[in-house]
Amino acid sequence: MKIKELAERLELKAATKVFDRDVTGVYISDMVSDVIANARAGDLLVTVQAHANVIAAANLVDTCAIVITQGKALADDVVKMAEKAEITVFTTALNRWQMATKLYEAGIR
Amino acid sequence: MKPLKRTAKRDRRYEMVNVRPGYLMIELENHTLARRCYFVAERTPPLEEYREGNQFWKPQQAAQTFQFDVRDTQTGAVVPFGELAGLLYYACCAKDSTVYQMGDLAHDQRVSLYVAITTEGEEGHAPMPLEKVRVLNTLFNERLTSPGKKVLILPDLFGLHRKITYEQIAVDFGLTSME
Repeated sequence: MKIKELAERLELKAATKVFDRDVTGVYISDMVSDVIANARAGDLLVTVQAHANVIAAANLVDTCAIVITQGKALADDVVKMAEKAEITVFTTALNRWQMATKLYEAGIR
Repeated sequence: MKPLKRTAKRDRRYEMVNVRPGYLMIELENHTLARRCYFVAERTPPLEEYREGNQFWKPQQAAQTFQFDVRDTQTGAVVPFGELAGLLYYACCAKDSTVYQMGDLAHDQRVSLYVAITTEGEEGHAPMPLEKVRVLNTLFNERLTSPGKKVLILPDLFGLHRKITYEQIAVDFGLTSME
């Protein structure tokens, strides 16, 4: 499934430009060190963290996109950093558990 | 519905092994205001002030992170990376810094620049040896799947360990649990 299709289904709000890629898995974590150790390229990263180091970790691992939960907004410099790295960031008012449920219902399993 | 096709672990030269959760400790010496950082693989960070000769070291910050070793899948040799404090992404540096400007240029060629920040050993601070940095570069580049994307990790030849705040590197300050 492509990022754009998934975003439409889950009503995710794009905080950056959308760089369409295949979603090949999901990783849910709020620790950048955990993301670096365990996430895989192509994973959709779901996290409540919205700081610059999340972009640094997602870029290092080559995640397909990031979903920031619980309505947290990104600072302008973080948006610019993500776009430069061609990482799509979405936001949602849902929490991580609700997001995980929606992803499962959308066929991400 | 079809299950997703996850990224396969292709024939990779290196793999991360012996992943050890713990804390990156930042300490300050009371009189000289010298700063040092080191990793502890403990369940809770050691936060007590202590004496070492004439020096009094006081913990300033503790960041959750992990350390790991790297195994060569061809030879079975394990390369330890106990000195790695974390990776610093160029875009987390000041825009007028050398690293930022180098990283900005590299990004035009789809190369993402990171600097390997090391902890201090008994003989002070030393950049990671080039042979070990080569291993790190292969490890992380083998994980990428975006066409044309590359990661370039450099040793800290810039003395960044003296200039940065440790919040700039990819570790987790302010968190309390690995769960």
